[in-house]
Amino acid sequence: MARFIASRLVSLILSLVVASVAIFVVIELVPGDPAGFMLGLNATPEAIAALRAEMGLTDGPLARYLTWTGGMLTGDFGTSYTYKVPVADLVAARLWVSLPLTAYALALSTLIAVPVGLLAASRRGRPADFAVMGATQLGIAVPNFWFAMLLVLVFAITWRVFPSGGFPGWEDGLWPGLRALTLPAVALALPQASILARVMRSALIETLGQDYIRTARAKGLSQGQSVRRHALRNALIPVMTILGLQFSFLLAGAIIIENVFFLPGLGRLIFQGITQRDLIVVESVVMLLVFAVILVTFLVDVAYALVDPRLRRA
Amino acid sequence: MSGLDVGGLSVTIHGTAVLTDVSFKMAPGEILGLVGESGSGKSMTALALMGLLPRGAEVDGRAVLGKTDLLSLDERAMCRVRGREIGMIFQEPMTALNPLQTIGAQVAEALAIHGGGARGAGELLARVGLDPDRIGPGRYPHELSGGQRQRVAIAIAIALSPRLLVADEPTTALDVTSQAEILDLLCDLVRDEGMGLLLITHDLAVVAGIADRVAVMQEGRIVEAGATEAVFRTRSHPYTRALFAASSHVPKRIAAPSGVPVLTVDGVRRHYPGPRKGLLRRGAPVRAVDGVSLGVGRGESVGLVGESGCGKSTLTRAILGLDALDAGQVALCGDAVMPPVPGEVRRRMQVVFQDPFGSFDPRWRVDRLVAEPFHLTGYPEDWRDKVAHALVAVGLKPRDMEKYIHEFSGGQRQRIAIARAIVIRPDLVILDEAVSALDVRVRAQILDLLADLQGEFGLSYLFISHDLSVVRSITDRVLVMQAGRIVEAGPTERVLAAPEHPYTRRLVAAVPVIPAGWITPQSA
Repeated sequence: MARFIASRLVSLILSLVVASVAIFVVIELVPGDPAGFMLGLNATPEAIAALRAEMGLTDGPLARYLTWTGGMLTGDFGTSYTYKVPVADLVAARLWVSLPLTAYALALSTLIAVPVGLLAASRRGRPADFAVMGATQLGIAVPNFWFAMLLVLVFAITWRVFPSGGFPGWEDGLWPGLRALTLPAVALALPQASILARVMRSALIETLGQDYIRTARAKGLSQGQSVRRHALRNALIPVMTILGLQFSFLLAGAIIIENVFFLPGLGRLIFQGITQRDLIVVESVVMLLVFAVILVTFLVDVAYALVDPRLRRA
Repeated sequence: MSGLDVGGLSVTIHGTAVLTDVSFKMAPGEILGLVGESGSGKSMTALALMGLLPRGAEVDGRAVLGKTDLLSLDERAMCRVRGREIGMIFQEPMTALNPLQTIGAQVAEALAIHGGGARGAGELLARVGLDPDRIGPGRYPHELSGGQRQRVAIAIAIALSPRLLVADEPTTALDVTSQAEILDLLCDLVRDEGMGLLLITHDLAVVAGIADRVAVMQEGRIVEAGATEAVFRTRSHPYTRALFAASSHVPKRIAAPSGVPVLTVDGVRRHYPGPRKGLLRRGAPVRAVDGVSLGVGRGESVGLVGESGCGKSTLTRAILGLDALDAGQVALCGDAVMPPVPGEVRRRMQVVFQDPFGSFDPRWRVDRLVAEPFHLTGYPEDWRDKVAHALVAVGLKPRDMEKYIHEFSGGQRQRIAIARAIVIRPDLVILDEAVSALDVRVRAQILDLLADLQGEFGLSYLFISHDLSVVRSITDRVLVMQAGRIVEAGPTERVLAAPEHPYTRRLVAAVPVIPAGWITPQSA
């Protein structure tokens, strides 16, 4: 197991290096000079040149790559061109919203999907199964911002149990923050839970057809016992794969929901960075997201190995 | 009586009758062989006893074990019977165990749900012949061979010393030596534990070796039953006679090998990288094929036998030119075979695999499937006529071209696979376990077909199989492969009748046979 983790770590590091080079090259190729953009249309060429030098844009590509990656390793992501504050601070503030929101949404999605998938699989072809399949089809088809608006209408405007938007920060304690994130998390979770429930259902149905379930039944286990003791864990692998993908997606993919609820999250940060040619912010956030994706992949791999002894070999 | 008494057992599934009035009795400690072809209702009988029939099944009749009628029990009560009163093992040991749990845990679970037994999991695993020092309870199923996994399945089934053990084709998926060991173990357990054993199999020889009594099933009915020797000697029912004739069938071969070499394999080696040991180091390479030489002449049939893992499949891939060789040469009619194999060479060599369904695209019609090899030569003008001819040659009809593969039975699918192999008139056909999945009567027909086609087209066959009786009936020469090497080669009759190499001897000895005295032809 230790060897397995070591080998996964090596591939994690290699992936990060490859990703950082790719991101750097792409950003290099994007048209538009940040210095020119910052100074506006009336800037003199001399002023632009001076700013370029100040920003380090006149150095060679290799030097800039090394400065950028070296900085990231020490926690220095550079200074935003437009906000004039360290990118690290900017990102950290946004992460405090996006990370809890993602975790909240995923937790809700799992809590909904696992029992629902289990129910559908064990009632395959019966009314409960049809109901689940229909509801999840709807959950996948309807865009999450529409759910979001519906939720606001019911829970914020009619019943006034949750705020309709904004984020108070975590300074006032856990509850006000969680309250503000609840409606967005539900809106994000519903489509994800629909996907996850369907994956859970089909994985379980496949596992239930396996020979070892028949062996378990022949031992004297009831249908329910064989699902809980044998089928569930075997069905987890595809479910974990989808969970890993959903985490990566939600971390920055919540941009529309962030806009609906006025949340200062990572999605909006990267959107603003792109429109304002704040390339250093874009670079850093993209790198951070890549890091998150690779880290999640690593964790999912380790989780696979924990679940399945056949995958423990490096 | 305290044995099993099954009477008037009938099962319908969604209205279709699968079992009709099945009745038999088993005394305690008796071995009853239930034989028949696929679809005859053998497994359904077992599942009905276990209360594990598929949804939509309706059961009628009685199955009294001891004093309880199993068919009258509700699901809760049946859960207490399964595993405690009746243990069951299945055909496919590779998938019968949960891959995520240790074998010890899976045996212990059977004990735990029935409130513990006389023996612990470790003791049970030792009882079925798994040495605790080598295959301890902490092992996972994927670390075990098929035979070892079947032992674990048996340990689970006998954990609570049930009165009845139901074994559904327990050795069909195993090598011949593992088969002999598992059958020995089962006999042993029956004797020591006083269990009854209901042994379900398609293999008459397996039953002949161990069953006290035998029941022959056909289309959901028991057509003949009695003491094994009596049933085997008298064969009063025509179906029993047909099964018997088919299982010892030797096709008439008119082809005479000409001695002109078609395939020559010379000193072929094929190594795989060893298992990883750390990030960069690897263990010693695995020598899957280690210096194999063989030849097949025109019109000749050569058998290649050996157990799983001996390198047969790797050698087949090498001969087909699918993998590069590490050393040696393969030549077909003098042309070297090495990847990428030119179409001109490839067209002279075709292959038929074990699973006829898996080797066809289900979305293609039969005409397109059979015509597929023409992409090697270019489609001739009259390719549809050629396909029709090939279908006729394998005993099908030209209008079968319009159908899809799922519309055919297993035997017919294998005929289509053979039609596909011969449609471009190859010199060599490699038959990779091509009849292993077929019922005995269908198998006999396919063997006849192969013999006829050989006579008609002067084909050469390389017949790869683990089944010695099949190899015996159709090949001129046989090669015995062990651990990547050919350990013995010679005329089939000589090698199988008087094996010289100890491994061949072991192999031949492990093959179950019907005692010679029982098969004397009937006075009919």
